[in-house]
Amino acid sequence: MNIRAYKPLIPMIAVYGVLITIALTVDGMWQPVAYFMFYIALGQAFNIFLGLTGYVDFGYVAFMGLGAYGMGLAIKNFGHLGLIALPIGIFLAVIMSMLLSLAVGAVALRLRGAYFAIATIGVNEGFRYLVEGVRLWGGTEGMILSGFMRKTYGREMTNFFSTFLSDVLVILIAFSAAVVTIAILNKKMGYALLALREDEDAAKVMGINVTKYKIMAFITSAGFAGLIGATAWTLKLTYIFPEDVFNISYTVEAIVIVMLGGAGTLLGPMFGGLIYGIMKYYLSVIFPGIQLLILAPILIAIVVVFPEGLIGYIRKKARDTRLSEYLR
Amino acid sequence: MIVSEQLVSNLFYGALLGSVYGVATMGLSLIFGVLRIVNVGHGAFIMLGAFTAFWMFTLYSVIPILSIPIALIFGLALGFIIFFSTIKRLIDAPELSTLLATFAIGIFIEEVAKFVWGSDYVGFSWDIGTLYLGPVTVPYTKLLAFLCSAIIAGLLYVWFTKTKLGTAIRAVVEDREGAMVCGINVGRIYSVSFAIGIGLTVLSGVLVTLFVPVGINVYMGPDYTLKAFVIAVLGGLGSPWGAFIAGFLFGLFENGSYTLLGLIPGVEPFALTRFVAFVFLLIILLIKPTGLLGGE
Repeated sequence: MNIRAYKPLIPMIAVYGVLITIALTVDGMWQPVAYFMFYIALGQAFNIFLGLTGYVDFGYVAFMGLGAYGMGLAIKNFGHLGLIALPIGIFLAVIMSMLLSLAVGAVALRLRGAYFAIATIGVNEGFRYLVEGVRLWGGTEGMILSGFMRKTYGREMTNFFSTFLSDVLVILIAFSAAVVTIAILNKKMGYALLALREDEDAAKVMGINVTKYKIMAFITSAGFAGLIGATAWTLKLTYIFPEDVFNISYTVEAIVIVMLGGAGTLLGPMFGGLIYGIMKYYLSVIFPGIQLLILAPILIAIVVVFPEGLIGYIRKKARDTRLSEYLR
Repeated sequence: MIVSEQLVSNLFYGALLGSVYGVATMGLSLIFGVLRIVNVGHGAFIMLGAFTAFWMFTLYSVIPILSIPIALIFGLALGFIIFFSTIKRLIDAPELSTLLATFAIGIFIEEVAKFVWGSDYVGFSWDIGTLYLGPVTVPYTKLLAFLCSAIIAGLLYVWFTKTKLGTAIRAVVEDREGAMVCGINVGRIYSVSFAIGIGLTVLSGVLVTLFVPVGINVYMGPDYTLKAFVIAVLGGLGSPWGAFIAGFLFGLFENGSYTLLGLIPGVEPFALTRFVAFVFLLIILLIKPTGLLGGE
């Protein structure tokens, strides 16, 4: 294993260290930092697919939703076994989201560009309306677990889940997604995906099995999405509503984060998630109700003037310097 | 017996509504056909049209039919502004940029609208009598909406086939480089098509109000965006004619399946209708991405 290729993790660990220190030492900062970490995790997970392949999955949130349901089902059905329900929930979340991604990937990944984007919107919306239509898993009423969790685990334990454990798990998920990203970037798969992103037909002609790598990236990314849904939603909020967990705006937020930081980079989603999270949090504090009004033009400006994202831009400037070893 | 009567009545209603869906999707298809850009903020423009009709009616008692040209001009102007401020720079950008930009434009319009009009549901009622036709009872306003949709689609057809500009637009849809070689100013075609696409969409918002007179809200758009996607794909992305016919079929399907699915106990017919629609969308995309009505 080439240790030097993992150098870009150093600035990342530094940022995580600073964030966690702030969260633990400054009063009342744990929840805001957890909020930023959710967006970092979201960006980091989505980047594995969107950033590395260049395919726009508008239905990404479906995997998060399914993960949320996986955890909810585990708590509901295995809650009486005690804490073992949580690892079961995590397992279910990953398996369910990966299975859906395998099914979607096998069929929809044959489409390209706008057709793929529309097909994935169809998957997400279709799934949501299936849940509501046949009253699956509680239908429109969703799953409300807070009462059940309090009865099974006690009030204090439930609070610990939602205000501490879930946040720690999200941080771990974000970091593992980053480690997986850099591992992919350093392997043959990373180069194959780079070739595919630049020109899919040319990559195919060169003998790269593009379908295999696309599906691999898709499933990995979906698995992480399931984990985020299970922890940041079910465990933290203790309820699941289909119109929330299949809400397309989370997909768009994920796209924004990836683009803001720089698609296909390692550090991009972290900085993108951090900037986006901080902006959204403080804009809604300072200008309650009109944060979207401010965010939308910023977004348009970024897309028009800054399409390579923050890290992409810095990398271009820092090319051939010592700094570039730490940027990826 | 009751069910079949209900079905006939709902199908008739669906056909009328479907024609409006058709007009509401033509703009999306036109923009995709010419610029290869999917307008994810499509529904926001429908919302603007609906509010245009609402304000013209409540403030100046202008009947919605007369609001149609006003909405069209408003939409054309808006289309040119958006084209020259953002879309122009994104024509050859990757999908990621254009999808995100159009989404952000949609949000921006919604938020400005919320700032101006608030987030309450508003509505108006324009009553000019009702037609009784066997099991079918239908207000004349809805018949009028159908008539307007058909006329608009017809006019557009004539414009596309008989005028020079319309033919040039079709040429660009067919083959961008080829059109350029033939001396067509492709840049101008882009701006004109985008503006017409947005104009048509805002205009369709006026027609929509004749069906949902009390459902006017700044966040009404995304629902129509999703429907428009299904319809556009059904008609073959990029073909406004396909979109009009597909909208018609979608209206029939939506109302028909709502009635039939309502017979199954223990399900939500409304949600399940949507589910079936999206399953159709996926199947069509996979087996015939050029659309059910598309050629090739």
